Amino acid sequence: MTLIAVGALTAVGFASVYIARQSVISAASLSYAGVFLGLYLLAHIVARVTVPHADPYLLPMAGLLTAVGVTEIYRLDPTDAFRQGMWIVIGVALFSLTLFILRRDYRRLEGYRYLFGLGAVALLALPALPGIGATINGARLWVKLGPLQFQPGELAKIMLIIFLAGYLREKREVLAQGRLKDFGPLLVIWGCAMLVLVETKDLGSALLFFGIFLVMLYVATSRLLFVGIGLALFLVGAVAVYELVSRVRDRVTIWLHPWTEHAVYCAQSGKLDLRQNCASYQLTKSLYSIANGHYGGTGLGKGTFTTTDGGALIPYLNTDFIYSALAQELGLIGVSALVMVFMLFVMRGFRISLLASDGFSKLVAVGLTFGFALQTFIIVGGILRIIPLTGITLPFVSYGGSSVVSNFVLLAGLMLVSNRANALRGVE
Amino acid sequence: MIAAGSVQIEEVLLALKIAFLILLYLFIWRIVRTARREVSEPQVSADDSMLLTPEQARELRLAAAKKIGKLVVVKSPALDEESELPLDSVGLTVGRDGENDIPLPGDTFASAEHARFDPRGDGVWLEDVGSTNGTYVNGVKLKRPKRLEPGDIVKIGETDFRFER
Repeated sequence: MTLIAVGALTAVGFASVYIARQSVISAASLSYAGVFLGLYLLAHIVARVTVPHADPYLLPMAGLLTAVGVTEIYRLDPTDAFRQGMWIVIGVALFSLTLFILRRDYRRLEGYRYLFGLGAVALLALPALPGIGATINGARLWVKLGPLQFQPGELAKIMLIIFLAGYLREKREVLAQGRLKDFGPLLVIWGCAMLVLVETKDLGSALLFFGIFLVMLYVATSRLLFVGIGLALFLVGAVAVYELVSRVRDRVTIWLHPWTEHAVYCAQSGKLDLRQNCASYQLTKSLYSIANGHYGGTGLGKGTFTTTDGGALIPYLNTDFIYSALAQELGLIGVSALVMVFMLFVMRGFRISLLASDGFSKLVAVGLTFGFALQTFIIVGGILRIIPLTGITLPFVSYGGSSVVSNFVLLAGLMLVSNRANALRGVE
Repeated sequence: MIAAGSVQIEEVLLALKIAFLILLYLFIWRIVRTARREVSEPQVSADDSMLLTPEQARELRLAAAKKIGKLVVVKSPALDEESELPLDSVGLTVGRDGENDIPLPGDTFASAEHARFDPRGDGVWLEDVGSTNGTYVNGVKLKRPKRLEPGDIVKIGETDFRFER
């Protein structure tokens, strides 16, 4: 049933885009839906064989989000969709590989926890290295190897969660007692990760990592005090960063006052201009795009994303801003459904964590699920002006190779934990 | 002709849009329905949501404040190695039976009720409560209750504990 829904949604989506944009897109577009469905079926079969007891709804939900994403990316730019398709192939391959290698017992990963911790820090530090690191759009978080470029931070997130799960399970009792010396190794790896993130100016990820850390610490020790201290530290850090980094100050100004009535200094052009035509151009255009969708949306393929002279209306529409593209074409009704799918995914994830029998599994499931939830909140909240905007991908939906691949690995992790928990409970 | 054609296309697109949204909500409905069914399943208790319950966390904190001491598992067929068992003022019983404060279900050499850690004013005392195979401190069989020194290795069945402050 869910299989049919995902298949039909993909087909309807591509058909709609095709009919609406016949002049731009060839009939071959429908084969995309077919290829996508084939991939999804393959992942489904692999999951049935390797993790037969796993939660049956995680994969369909991920498939649905990916399908909606790739449809919208295709609608915006068919060549990007082709590349996204390749990344989905790699993602499904890694998903299958992860399931296959760890199908018997993923918990042996716990023995390599320090390796994972160091690996995460190393991955995070990669973009800072001269030669292979690259700065794109003000943040240095890319690694370029020949024609390939990727963001190692996405994969580092998963490795750090495994490290935290292993470490916190082992030390939860002494940590709950709250003696500072027991926090040593934790704070060292932690400090390294945060330092690297601040160094690379990737504020969205820094926020994400910090949130995951606090939640896992809380789940491991049941001590609200740690969350309180963490949030206090975060506030102090946020104020310090606001004072010290002009980029952050700009982001907050854009968030609070995207529109101005009088011309202000525009850093990009060096001239005086209204802010909505300058620094907050992207955000305000995105808000107009969402407003243009009304309740029902314009329909897939019929939204307005180009200026009258053919240029792109919103920069980074298919990565950071895909939510506003979807909000225009699917309307409030459509994006609410999308957000609901995200919520259901998170709900299933926390349920897996509740059912898991051992501490390591619980912590891995909580970490992965909360990371997924927080990432979605940071980008959707940023686009909707609930919090200052920081560029980060919408899981499974946004265009971006590293993001798609790492989210499929995350999905594999959750399914492994779920499989074990359900098998032990004796549930089909 | 052209006008008629474009009207048709508009209608098809509208139908596709509605179909897309309906499918999306059907999908959500399907998952929510199973979630409702799961609510009536035997519930996992709220305590299971954390690795330590709030009470356990509080006890650990109090034990740390009192500095009574703790037991570290050196090797055991039943307990995780290096796991720590804090001693509080109430004392702990050890044995194969599940009723004990420290149960050793997989340890076939331990008696059902084997030994007791008893914190008193002058330190933590270890007492054998009539075990078959005896209780050993640093390899010496315990004949009468003994006060533990930090670093002492306590052997109960096949399980070794290290006493620490």
